[in-house]
Amino acid sequence: MTHSSLIGDLIDLNSALKIDGATDAEERKQRDRAIGQALQQRRHSPPNQLRSWLGRVRISDWQRQGHHAVQLYHTLCVILLFTGLVTGWGLARAVLHYTGNTPINIVNALGLLVLPQILLLLFWLLAAIPYRIPLFNALQSALRFLNPGRLARHLSRLFPLHSRQSLSVVWETEYAAALAPVTRWLFSFWSQLFALCFNIGVLLAAFYTISFSDLAFAWSTTLNIDTTTFHRMLSVLSWPWHALFPDAVPGPELVEISRYYRLDDGSLGNGAATAELAAQLGQWWPFLVTAIVCYGLLPRTLTLLISWSRFRHHLVHALPRLKGSPELLARMNSPLISTSAPRPETALKLDEESGHEVSASARYGLRCAVIDWAGTGADRERTEKQMQSMGISPQELLAAGGNRTTDQDNETITSLCHSKTDGIAVIVKSWEPPLLEFVDFVHAIRERCTRQQPIIVLLWGDQDGVSKQDIETWQLTLHQLKDPDLHIEALGPVR
Amino acid sequence: MTVPLFAIVGHPNKGKSSIVSTLAQDESVAISPIPGTTVDNRYYPMVVDGETLYALVDTPGFQRARAVLEWMQKQPGSTVDRANIVRMFVEEHHDDLRFAAESSLLTPILDGAGILYVVDGSRPFGEEYEAEMEILRWTGQPSLALINMIGDADHSEEWHSALGQYFRIVRIFDAMTADFDKRAQLLLAFGQIRQEWRDSLEKAVRILGEEQQRRRQLSARIIAETISRMISYTRQRNLGHDEASSEDRDTLQKEYKRELVSMEQQCRSDVEHIYDHKHLERHEPLVELLEHGLFAKQTWKLFGLTRQQLIASGALGGAATGGVIDLAVGGASLLLGAGIGAMVGGVSAWVTADRIADIKIMGLPLGGKQLSIGPMRNINFPYVVLNRALYHHRMVEDRSHAHRDPLILTQTPGWLQTIDADHRKRLEKTFVNLRRQDSLLPELVDALAEEIQKLMELSVGETT
Repeated sequence: MTHSSLIGDLIDLNSALKIDGATDAEERKQRDRAIGQALQQRRHSPPNQLRSWLGRVRISDWQRQGHHAVQLYHTLCVILLFTGLVTGWGLARAVLHYTGNTPINIVNALGLLVLPQILLLLFWLLAAIPYRIPLFNALQSALRFLNPGRLARHLSRLFPLHSRQSLSVVWETEYAAALAPVTRWLFSFWSQLFALCFNIGVLLAAFYTISFSDLAFAWSTTLNIDTTTFHRMLSVLSWPWHALFPDAVPGPELVEISRYYRLDDGSLGNGAATAELAAQLGQWWPFLVTAIVCYGLLPRTLTLLISWSRFRHHLVHALPRLKGSPELLARMNSPLISTSAPRPETALKLDEESGHEVSASARYGLRCAVIDWAGTGADRERTEKQMQSMGISPQELLAAGGNRTTDQDNETITSLCHSKTDGIAVIVKSWEPPLLEFVDFVHAIRERCTRQQPIIVLLWGDQDGVSKQDIETWQLTLHQLKDPDLHIEALGPVR
Repeated sequence: MTVPLFAIVGHPNKGKSSIVSTLAQDESVAISPIPGTTVDNRYYPMVVDGETLYALVDTPGFQRARAVLEWMQKQPGSTVDRANIVRMFVEEHHDDLRFAAESSLLTPILDGAGILYVVDGSRPFGEEYEAEMEILRWTGQPSLALINMIGDADHSEEWHSALGQYFRIVRIFDAMTADFDKRAQLLLAFGQIRQEWRDSLEKAVRILGEEQQRRRQLSARIIAETISRMISYTRQRNLGHDEASSEDRDTLQKEYKRELVSMEQQCRSDVEHIYDHKHLERHEPLVELLEHGLFAKQTWKLFGLTRQQLIASGALGGAATGGVIDLAVGGASLLLGAGIGAMVGGVSAWVTADRIADIKIMGLPLGGKQLSIGPMRNINFPYVVLNRALYHHRMVEDRSHAHRDPLILTQTPGWLQTIDADHRKRLEKTFVNLRRQDSLLPELVDALAEEIQKLMELSVGETT
């Protein structure tokens, strides 16, 4: 599992999860559970399971873009590698430039090729610490921001949009909650890749110059440093390899004979540039090369490896943290539970246009036979008063519905047909919905009584009054009868 | 072993569909005050990885119970033949539209379903229910009566007495307010109907409990991510050389608030989806405290660094250079080189910064003035956001799928004020760390998610 394929998978997973949001939730559950069951052996490694999911899932409109990101990533790596080699080579060739007139100043060479590396290494260490050090907060932020690896991000703008957009996921703030460490270590990896190649470039240039020309090194400084001090400094600098490569540690004699002053026409020692002296002055190169290896190449190799390993580590751990990944893992690893109906419900459609208006102040002016439907238990005196207020004069009280038999209902209808009243008032419980047996009852009245009398359905609401919702229910249901002489009224207050 | 099957039967409009919707967590169940909305039997099986643990059947309500009972009573036969008489009725009236509802609802019962008879306990008992209950008794199937409290009034005592004459087990259940535990208890109670169904129902409850835990975990993660992003969110606007006008500040502040509100709304919607509430209408006041601790600050930047960061970098570079001199003199300078170097580096960075900022590369200045807002410094802000998120989560977690009203989130209880010192300390530490970082650290988000999950458990304990 290479880290470049991990980058590709990260980009692909991110885009897949984004697009998958539009897929039907139920379809996703079934699909992912099926994949999850096939990947049970990877259950304990969420990153692996997610990557394998990518290989199996089919999502419409989703195209894998990860390879574009990987291509761009590789291209940027190559650019940094090449740039590092070229700049290292160029700088080393400039520093080791020797025309034969003035020897190469070892102080200059160290100042440009070794000391900045030590300094930058310290900066890298400071920036690499994951948590903030009090008092160094601003510096740490600055160092992270100044990481040259970030330049690669700007370089990516020179590449096609699809590649750029896909890789930019890694550094966009939108994904910071999951990818912040990935971004940091990617930039670190790039900066260390550049630095390592820079050192390789320097060394290649150094070997090339040393091999194909004769070099003379010396040291010169305006500072008041005597040869003993300078030798001591060099000994400190070459301490890491003094046991391993003693020849690469400049001795006091070499330091002594290598000092020169430009005032003195650049002459060394007694002023006679003999072949022997030239050979002696050339002995500096092992020291310089070992210093570059020790303070440049080796630490940069180490920091590159650390950056690579941290980058890879965080890449792996970022996969389950991407937005949508925890849900996907849950879908894969938990049983597929379905409690809903397999098909959506087709509810009965009623004609919602109600033809009956409830008017509390309605005045009917009718003498009515009153039917108590299903034993409402309404207070007789009170209901009579309420009916009177509506212009309904109750003449006789009959009963139907409830625990009476249908034959008894038929008898009630017979007496209704024979009664001399102007209309029929039926008191019903407003909270009980009108059943088809009530509709049957109204139908039977219409069928059997030749005289078309108004039927007034009076909704009784117990002590709570009649709710608007109940009125609506009765209206909607009885409206289906299309009976112009059927009226619905609330018996009592409407709430 | 047969799969436990439960027919939810009763009078129309007494909450049969609400109970099914609650237990099946299916918001697509048609719930309507119009009687006869359920026109046919609908099966709601609980299937776990292909294995059916139980099934609910939502049935149409009785429409002509008296006529049906009269027909049955007219048939010859003794008490032992009653179940057969019911079967005969269904067979004979299978295609009779008059008895379509009764034929439908009796079919699963005759196929062996347990009966869950539902009544509305907030309305008084009526004599019209007797025929229905008698028909169900005739089927001879195991049964349980559920008193569904639809309204505020309480007639449950009256119902208990009436139902007790027909059903061995009578339970009160409010489909609208039942939380997960109550739903689980009801499922377990179904096991009392028939002993052989108990294992299957216990398994179902265990699996649903695990699923509930997973949902909490996912919700906690989403809330943690949102809060982390809200705390650390910043917004900038480059000004170049110009001073920030009050209009610039107002615009930036509005954009900032809008983004925070949008993050919170997205979080709400994500949590609702986790609990399968996909069409929930929500009313929630906007997060308070947005007005406090929010000031658009004008800063200066070069290469993306603030002046402070730039000086720190300059000072460090100078100190390192001076350090070389200290090293050269073998420490005889008593680190004076590093000190002077740091000072020179820092001052140089300060002095030259403006001039460098004016340099343009490809038409773009390297630095300049910038108006920035955030991160939110109000120390109460994350607590307020978390409290709101926990409250919303609780309401969604407990919300029955039978509820079709909007979710109103007006009075947020102050759970966080009651949490113990340890929890508060851990939360505070995480919030401080989140504010301090340049970018979000996933470990901090993980830690916050873990803490939020614990708080979710606590909030459940508080209210139950």
